[in-house]
Amino acid sequence: MSANTIYLALFIYFILGSIIARQARSKLGSGVNDFFLAGRALGGIVAALTYSATTYSAFMLVGLAGFTYIGGVGALGFELIYLSGLVLVAFFGPRFWLVGKRYNYLTPTEMLGDRYQSKAVAFVSAVAAVIFLIPYSAVQLIGIGALLEGISGGAIPYLAGVVIAAVIAVYWTWTGGLKAVAWTDSLQAAVMLTVAVLSVIFIVYRAFDGFGGMFTQLEARYPDWLAVPGPGFFNFKAFLGLTLPWFFFSLSNPQVSQRLFMPRSLGQMRIMVMGFLVFGFIYTLVSILWGFSARLLLPDLTAADSATPVLLSLNIVPSVVALLVMLGISAAAISTVNSIILTLSSMVCRDVFKFVSVCSDEQKELRVGRVFVPLFTLVILAFATLRLDLIAALSVASSAGLLVMVPALIGSFFWKRGSAAAVLASVIIGGLVATILQYSGLRPLGLWPGVWSGIVAVTLFIGVSLVTQAPKEKAEEFIGYLRGELSRKNVI
Amino acid sequence: MSLERQRIFWAVLFFLMILAAFIVPFTPLLNDLTTFYGAFLFWNVFAIVVIICLGLITARWRDDDER
Repeated sequence: MSANTIYLALFIYFILGSIIARQARSKLGSGVNDFFLAGRALGGIVAALTYSATTYSAFMLVGLAGFTYIGGVGALGFELIYLSGLVLVAFFGPRFWLVGKRYNYLTPTEMLGDRYQSKAVAFVSAVAAVIFLIPYSAVQLIGIGALLEGISGGAIPYLAGVVIAAVIAVYWTWTGGLKAVAWTDSLQAAVMLTVAVLSVIFIVYRAFDGFGGMFTQLEARYPDWLAVPGPGFFNFKAFLGLTLPWFFFSLSNPQVSQRLFMPRSLGQMRIMVMGFLVFGFIYTLVSILWGFSARLLLPDLTAADSATPVLLSLNIVPSVVALLVMLGISAAAISTVNSIILTLSSMVCRDVFKFVSVCSDEQKELRVGRVFVPLFTLVILAFATLRLDLIAALSVASSAGLLVMVPALIGSFFWKRGSAAAVLASVIIGGLVATILQYSGLRPLGLWPGVWSGIVAVTLFIGVSLVTQAPKEKAEEFIGYLRGELSRKNVI
Repeated sequence: MSLERQRIFWAVLFFLMILAAFIVPFTPLLNDLTTFYGAFLFWNVFAIVVIICLGLITARWRDDDER
């Protein structure tokens, strides 16, 4: 595909998104809650689309398709168990939403700090989010750079792709805060899903005469790919190690859990949850079928991640659809990065520099938050250009590293004995365990970093809580308030 | 059923379903069934059942102005 065609498509996409972002800005209020949470008044459909676009990154059509290519159907189990993690939102979503409104929480880390009555808890949790989410975002940009470079046959330099994606992400975010992110995410989610479904139908019908034909060929040529452990990639320990941390994604990742503060009502939250489930189910199936198609059509690839770009370059997919898929993958990455940038920026004053004078009132906090939008983007951009091994390790470790916040989050709603010291111990030591194991490649007892960080965090949270002082008064008030409200609103 | 009992009922049900999603495809029941109606169908049905259950749970949520 020619570089000029790709540049033109990206330019049109950028202009379209920018019109939407500026439109969103015209409806933006002036407060911190308006900029970072869309005034806690998001409608269900937009909330579902932004939740979907934020959650699903370039990983799906590139990484998950690659997992299917080398490991078979286990990739489907991994991703659908992740999707079933939305049961956590059925339990915790209304709880987040209720306390968010009552105590005016802006970030999930602020909620932890207040609930455990400790500024250190908010600070450490926010810093942990920055440490794990910046490399994760950098990897998204790296993915776009590599995709554009690959699809253009090297005519678009890697760095150009990375910079284009970063500029799009930062401009939309800076223009209109969460409202612009949510509205452009809606556009991006629509593009992601439409082109993914369209392209897979093209491939399956053109190459295999339909889904039946594809499965008949799989059963004949690659039967192992339809079972686990199958070809071996998804042995049980690997499956557990990959899947367990991702199951808790909806709670552990602040750019996603912050979205639980945003719906206008519980009814709108319901639309958000159900809309996301339907989106996620379809998008997962498409990514898996994409990987199976690559297995049948391109049996000799050496790098599984190249399955998608190479498949796009075959003549099965019309070039206009291939171009749209490239846009869809870029959209998936950009919509994840811009949400992370906004969430991290919202934490700067609220959780990290709370008592510094530049954050002393709401307007100053908003100004500082907005300044950090381009600053975080620059840091992510710098990381993406470095392409260090540590960045990849930290990115992979992000799900295991952020998992360590889950015991503290669940404890804040259900366990009055939970203490600040326990949160600090579980987040700091659990996070270190995740990083060290990921970077060193060690697998004690054959278990993956995400399993170990989970075990360490739960043990420390419970153990340290039992021997330290909990903020009893706050716990009583917080949990007591929820008990009454949940009962009134019929929430389990 | 009281809200507390419902909470326990759904928590236990989800725990069992998710445990099954982790284990069943690796057991002899499915791990040598190399066809469309093996692990592929199992995980799809699992996801659809979870989505239906979440639809039932969230349908009961009430906003203040609805009462």
